[in-house]
Amino acid sequence: MVSIKIRGLVKRFGSVVALNQLDIDIGSGELFFLLGPSGCGKTTLLRSIAGFHLPEEGKILFDGDDVSQVPPHKRETAMMFQSYALWPHLNVFKNVAFGLEERRVKKPEIKDRVEKALAMVKMNGLGNRKINQLSGGQQQRVALARALVVRPRCLMLDEPLSNLDAKLRIEMRTEIRRICKEFGLTAIYVTHDQKEALSIADRLAVLDGGNIAQVGTPEEVYRKPRTALVAGFIGETNLVDGQVAFQSGDQIYVKTAIGELVGRPSNPDWKPQPDERVTISVRPECLSIDVSPPAQNAIAGKLTESTYLGEVAHYSLSVDGREDPIHLSELNPRRVIRDTGETLYATAKSEDIVLLPPR
Amino acid sequence: MHKGLATTIYGFTIVFFALFFVYPIWHTVKEAFVTPEDTFTLVYIAEIFKNPIYVEGLINSFYMGLFTTLLSLLIALPLALMANHWDFRGKEILNSLILVPLILPPFVGALGIRQILGQAGVLNAFLIDLGLMDANAPHDWLGEGQLLGVVLMNALHLYPIAYLNISAALANVDPAMEEAAENLGCHGIRRLSRITLPMIMPGVFAGATIIFIWSFTELGVPLIFDFGRVTSVQIFHGIKDLSGNPFPYALVVLMLVATVFFYLIGKWLFGRDIGASSGRAATGRVLKPASPMANLLCIGSFVFVTGLAILPHIGVTLLSLSEQWYGSILPRHWTNQHYLDALGHPLTLNSIGNSLKYASLATVMNVILGTAIAYVVVRTKLPGRQFLDATAMLPLAVPGLVLAFGYLAMTREGQRFDFLVLGENPIIILIIAYAVRRLPYVVRSAAAGFQQTSVTLEEAAQNLGCPPLKALTKVTLPLIAANLIAGGLLAFSFAMLEVSDSLILAEQQQYFPITKAIYALVTSLGNGPHLASALGVWAMAFLAITIVGAGVILGKKLGALFRV
Repeated sequence: MVSIKIRGLVKRFGSVVALNQLDIDIGSGELFFLLGPSGCGKTTLLRSIAGFHLPEEGKILFDGDDVSQVPPHKRETAMMFQSYALWPHLNVFKNVAFGLEERRVKKPEIKDRVEKALAMVKMNGLGNRKINQLSGGQQQRVALARALVVRPRCLMLDEPLSNLDAKLRIEMRTEIRRICKEFGLTAIYVTHDQKEALSIADRLAVLDGGNIAQVGTPEEVYRKPRTALVAGFIGETNLVDGQVAFQSGDQIYVKTAIGELVGRPSNPDWKPQPDERVTISVRPECLSIDVSPPAQNAIAGKLTESTYLGEVAHYSLSVDGREDPIHLSELNPRRVIRDTGETLYATAKSEDIVLLPPR
Repeated sequence: MHKGLATTIYGFTIVFFALFFVYPIWHTVKEAFVTPEDTFTLVYIAEIFKNPIYVEGLINSFYMGLFTTLLSLLIALPLALMANHWDFRGKEILNSLILVPLILPPFVGALGIRQILGQAGVLNAFLIDLGLMDANAPHDWLGEGQLLGVVLMNALHLYPIAYLNISAALANVDPAMEEAAENLGCHGIRRLSRITLPMIMPGVFAGATIIFIWSFTELGVPLIFDFGRVTSVQIFHGIKDLSGNPFPYALVVLMLVATVFFYLIGKWLFGRDIGASSGRAATGRVLKPASPMANLLCIGSFVFVTGLAILPHIGVTLLSLSEQWYGSILPRHWTNQHYLDALGHPLTLNSIGNSLKYASLATVMNVILGTAIAYVVVRTKLPGRQFLDATAMLPLAVPGLVLAFGYLAMTREGQRFDFLVLGENPIIILIIAYAVRRLPYVVRSAAAGFQQTSVTLEEAAQNLGCPPLKALTKVTLPLIAANLIAGGLLAFSFAMLEVSDSLILAEQQQYFPITKAIYALVTSLGNGPHLASALGVWAMAFLAITIVGAGVILGKKLGALFRV
């Protein structure tokens, strides 16, 4: 399978810069996710790799060969479209066989490979169905089979699950990963659903306004976000602005409007100096709740809202010196605090408090 | 809407169609199978097939329909593909101009084609001037059968219907469908033939069907070309000795059967429902900016086709201004005498007045009935409303000639509906005939308006204390006024140009509409053709104004009017 290198890629639409000097490396056989808020350029990047957009500057290399100016029908990628783009005038078999026919594969082999591809997505025996006789989930499987059957150098998935219901979505995402790994496919997957990315990606890139905000494994990006945007986009978080007070060992003490917090920068190369402005990210599940003040990292506030969801309880605290409430969640709650107005203390371990560049 | 009112509209429409659509067709069919002694017979039909002249007429009619349809598609498809692919300079204007020929009367244009392609016509004069042709042996382009001229004129008139249908179909193709093919290695012409064309085939077929039915039974153009060996013209001449002659009826029946037969074959071959496209389009179609070469190609093609299509009408205009025009590229002597003569001629002013009267009354009827039907279909839950919708579309599928003949038969003296012809005045039956034929356009147009205007706007008015009917007139009707006006204008201009009903139903000179007056002038001696062309130019100027108005008001939605 192909490895993909992107160097200095620029794509403009009129005066809008959709991709701004991007560099990305995707390894052979990797399941790589592109993530970001709408309009961040993730679909543009995918379509550029597939050849539907020609970049203004920069290079796209497949195994070291520059394919930037190669037209889409010669790139040997296979895309699964958000709308599936199954052709209604062809039946299931013909849809899947299409790419093989274009590659001049012999008839008996086509039949064999199409049947195998349909079996792989659990659609065997449905080759004669018309597209409009299929459910959304079945259409999605056919679209996947159509892309896989040609043994593409790279599989591209453009929000493939966005038209499915929640349960099917979870089932299919595991299925997609299984197939990708079984065939050692290089795959690029665009989504705005962070759960999808965290659950099956090898690595993921978060895009922001045509720039790469961060690339890393799901754990890295979740636990050590490099910017406030990444921290807020991947998972829930509380962001608190502050100023560095002093450093002790690898711990940094930060003065904030809601009290002193002790944490560590997500980027080990970054050594914030005293008086430097920083933003702190602390995830709701890292905070625990107490009725008496803890020794360190104490955030005192009045309970404004509590929501019980069974496996987890969510609380909102209104804290002096801050407009937004602080959110925290307690896993396996034994007792739910419902007295709004009550003063509570939230606290987190220093290793869960992440220092970021100021937002 | 009040359920009682909706039911009343429904009932009225069904009765109206029973009386003025089903009954005339039934009447014609019956006459073809019943002897004077009231017994069933197949003799008349059999006689037709024994008569080589009738058989030749049917074959020629088929060719006329087939070649017109193919030529129209050949003209329209590349243009539609270009417009769907590139963003070229002046596209908005060229896109509207390309539709203009649809409302230029082909019947009048035929006079121009005769002038251009005739033996002493413009093309030959041009070739002789260039020394490419022997002046003593000019070529006869229109050939002996003159089918070429008829097909050319029909296609240059009807290709906009194909263009509108194909454009609408292309606009509905999810661009991802084409990208998916590209992505799997299918490119260019192959992609066009494997993906794009099959996906737009229902749209192509819808356009082709209307063009085929229209041209298969076209009466005006072959009449002007004096091409008597097609069924439509044979039927027209047959009615002169109507009483007792069953053959025109039998021919009409054969024509109707053939229309249905060809429609079904076409539907089976090309029109199969491929199913609605799945999912929603994720990306809008982004048109490519045209390169200089593409710009040249697109603009050149659009200008060429539009120019070619209005050439006959330019010919007519020149003819109307010429004193004499024979064997030269341009007329040698100019005059405005024909226009003055035309205005002084009793036939012309009278016929313009008649046409205006018939067409505007028919349009009023169309707009009222069409709006009511559209409302019931779109806004009520009345059971069987789809049937009502389908019924209102039926006139598109039945040749005008067949209906005209039916009206003639049912209003003959002694028939049950002879009171519709007041003395000799055909005004009532002509208005009804015009209205029935053009109703589909108004219904489609109004229905589009109702679909685009949210029902909640009306509900909000009712919620604030406005009674339902008043809410309709105060809120919704003003919002869809553009659709109604556009549909009405189209109905009006087609009524002004109507040939079959006009030629067959208006028998006395004082009641002639424009088309019949033109026909009478063309066939008269002396300066008749010049007068006819002058009258034709008046009519065209008139129509140009109405259709430009419709185009401006309705914009791109004009295409929706021509879908079956």
